[in-house]
Amino acid sequence: MKPRIVAEHLSRWYGNVLGLSDVNLEIGPGITGLLGPNGAGKSTLLKLITGQIRPSLGRVTIDGQPVRGRAELFSRLGYCPEQDAFFDGFTGWQFLYWLLRLHHFTEKKAAERTEEMLRLVELEADAHRPIRSYSRGMRQRLKLAQALAHEPEILILDEPLNGLDPLGKRKMIRLIRDFGQEGRLVLVSSHILPEIEALTRQIILIHQGKVFAQGDIHEIRDLIERHPHVVSVRTRDSRRLAAWLIQQPYVVKAYFGENDDNLFVETRDRDKFFHFLLELVAEGRIEIEEITSPDDNLQAVFDYLIGKP
Amino acid sequence: MIREHGYSHWNGQFIERRLPWWPITRLNLKLAFRKKHFRPVYALSFLPAFFFIVAIYISERIEDFQFMMRGGRAILFEINPNFFKNYLASDFLLFMLILIMVFAAAGLMADDFRFNALILYFSRPLRKRDYLFGKAAVIAFFVLTLTAFPAILFIFIKLLFAGNFSLLKNYPWLPLSIIGYSLFLTIFYCLYALFLSCLSRNSRYVSVMIFAVYVFSDFLYAFFYNWFRQPFLLLLSFKHNLQQVAAFAFGVKPAQPVPWFWSFLVLGLFCLLAGYFILSKIRAVEVIR
Amino acid sequence: MKVEVSHLHFSYGSIKALDDVSLSLEGGATGLLGPNGAGKTTLIKILLGFLRPERGEGRVLGYDILHEPRKIRQLVGYMPEDDCFLPGMDAVTFTAFFGELAGMPRQEAMKRAHEVLFYVGLGEARYRLLETYSAGMRQRLKLAQALVHDPKLLFLDEPTSNLDPQGRMEILELIKDLANGKDIQILLSSHILSDIEMVCKHVIILNRGKVVAQGKIKDLKAMNFRLYELKIKGEREKWLAELAARGCQFEVTEDGLIRLYLPAEINPKEIFIAAFKAGVQIRHFKPSESTLEDFFARAVGVD
Repeated sequence: MKPRIVAEHLSRWYGNVLGLSDVNLEIGPGITGLLGPNGAGKSTLLKLITGQIRPSLGRVTIDGQPVRGRAELFSRLGYCPEQDAFFDGFTGWQFLYWLLRLHHFTEKKAAERTEEMLRLVELEADAHRPIRSYSRGMRQRLKLAQALAHEPEILILDEPLNGLDPLGKRKMIRLIRDFGQEGRLVLVSSHILPEIEALTRQIILIHQGKVFAQGDIHEIRDLIERHPHVVSVRTRDSRRLAAWLIQQPYVVKAYFGENDDNLFVETRDRDKFFHFLLELVAEGRIEIEEITSPDDNLQAVFDYLIGKP
Repeated sequence: MIREHGYSHWNGQFIERRLPWWPITRLNLKLAFRKKHFRPVYALSFLPAFFFIVAIYISERIEDFQFMMRGGRAILFEINPNFFKNYLASDFLLFMLILIMVFAAAGLMADDFRFNALILYFSRPLRKRDYLFGKAAVIAFFVLTLTAFPAILFIFIKLLFAGNFSLLKNYPWLPLSIIGYSLFLTIFYCLYALFLSCLSRNSRYVSVMIFAVYVFSDFLYAFFYNWFRQPFLLLLSFKHNLQQVAAFAFGVKPAQPVPWFWSFLVLGLFCLLAGYFILSKIRAVEVIR
Repeated sequence: MKVEVSHLHFSYGSIKALDDVSLSLEGGATGLLGPNGAGKTTLIKILLGFLRPERGEGRVLGYDILHEPRKIRQLVGYMPEDDCFLPGMDAVTFTAFFGELAGMPRQEAMKRAHEVLFYVGLGEARYRLLETYSAGMRQRLKLAQALVHDPKLLFLDEPTSNLDPQGRMEILELIKDLANGKDIQILLSSHILSDIEMVCKHVIILNRGKVVAQGKIKDLKAMNFRLYELKIKGEREKWLAELAARGCQFEVTEDGLIRLYLPAEINPKEIFIAAFKAGVQIRHFKPSESTLEDFFARAVGVD
């Protein structure tokens, strides 16, 4: 069955402090990124989804069943928290093994699976050393191994790439992407937007306890109509191009970048703009070296939605 | 002329401080005095000094105070080395110094470890010894203002009231004893407090330890003495060790029939170990992770 | 050259942390990259004089790293990775204190602390106790204490760690501003490649104690002049078919990105003409270049 997390009118506060307010979400299989500024409510949401705390109002269900108090659900859920939560004296091997036993794996199965996971996260060489001797990157990999070990369908990852070097990140991203295939549900929370972009295009943006956006990054960008789209065009004839473009009514602003041949144009109607531009090139009136959309990335979307001036 | 927004350079000159550790001391002294409960404790510690000054006055005008004398009471008002020893090594003063350590010194090292500040210190042109000295100087300030400073003041006041130098003529080595013993106390308290402050990252635990170790050492002595009645057991108690050494410093018979030298050795050993531990702790952290 | 080291060797016991490392930092901002354990932190420690290399020598800002480390520390600002501050005081006291310890006279340190705190954006909060500061503010405070004595060289160790997206952008903007100022040289050690790309012009890559690559980022990202990446709006089949007929090769990724290889005899203009004829809007057109990440992976010798 394809896993599904549904939140209905989910609210949670701590005394006076608001954690989440009236959140309605549906998260399906695949990789979804969860983002938001500090204090926005991300950890509250994750804690509610993993059943660590109870909603003040509303409910959150996994496959239609509420999360709290249902131990069997935890065998389908893998959670990789942001902080380290280890028994420092254990070795990596022991840690995984005993967690698997707690999940009712048999001795044999647990041992096999432990070996498999250690191979997957490349910790085999250090498996029999105590966790307190592990470096940051190794702990991070162990945390991920622990989340994947019992073959969950749902994986909740809080800042999984923290502390990893660029290579480690690449491997981790690959691991997570592989896991996100085959109908599994992965929810990744992170601060580093370029890294989320590398993982997925589906995002949920939380701010001030509410969901500000959910969906595909590019679709969200299209929905933000109030902000004209910025297009960057690199050409040697930038000034001539600017002169033509300024005459078009759908061009709101045109300005030059640090190099003179970089022209930035803001437009409310991309269709007309690109059509016009293409025509110019096709008719041979200008030669273009590069066209990009600098604000069609997650950081820009994020900034717009958070209300950065 | 317009002031541009953004980063501006500093056109000043660096200076060579004569006392490179002074900013550290000054900062920690300020922090100590800001603590609400510290000020009354520090003030209270001067109370004995006040009484001893009154005693000096009385000793000069002994005739006027005949009514106060009841036999043995006369001894209290005789200004001799014992008088100074009584001030500098009184139970009260030694204890108050511990309380002062609790407020002013508990966090000296502990907070730096906990909040990871050592790396900030040492990325400056600061020597290890300057750092430690700066911290120790905070403690030294409090100890010296309560020991050497009042004691020397007593001498002056006595000379003033007596109108002659008989005190110094009789006991010319007295100022030396005062300074020597004060320094000894300073070194001890510095190492004691800094050592305990290195043991934990939580300054509250350190406060408790500063207090408890001192009091407990005394308790241990009393407890075992009760059973075994052996005087040498006083070596267990910091307070008694300090007082034994004081007795030697002022040429006075020690309270217990135990050679002062043993007390000195015990305390010396403690100081050496404490110092070694402190240095190794710093070394371990200075080289960042 | 503000920083020059030659033939540095350093071992922790039997582990060789730096193996014959020689490099010199150009002006501007340089990124320091490497897998964990590659020797980045060791290198910084040696430059700051916390460690003595077994062999080799170096000069930072003209001073010998072996014999004049304290002079170096006076002229270098260091922003450590971990959280660090002193409780019980406000930002001004904190910053001025470290300015004094760096060798500034007291009044100068005070004045400069205010300036620097305004620069990093803590002006409004500078009289508040440090315990009340958020993570982003603490990062800025760390930057402030690194700048207070107006260093000629800044070592920044993971300056954006633990910051939320806004905080990250704000710190990166600050660092970029400093880097553009030309008078301060910056060495940025970070795991986040996009940060380094945003701020630095040069990069040094360490692996297993050796320098495996160094140079201008622009140069290192190989430009492949016949390969283009495109994004379009519209029906692409006819257009791509026509291009294929002319000898182009293409692949379409799952994100809808089109990678197009243009044979030598075809002018890029043809792509646009064909698109216009087929009613396809080209919305993204970029000569393909490998990312810094690809380069890093290759330099470190992995898959």
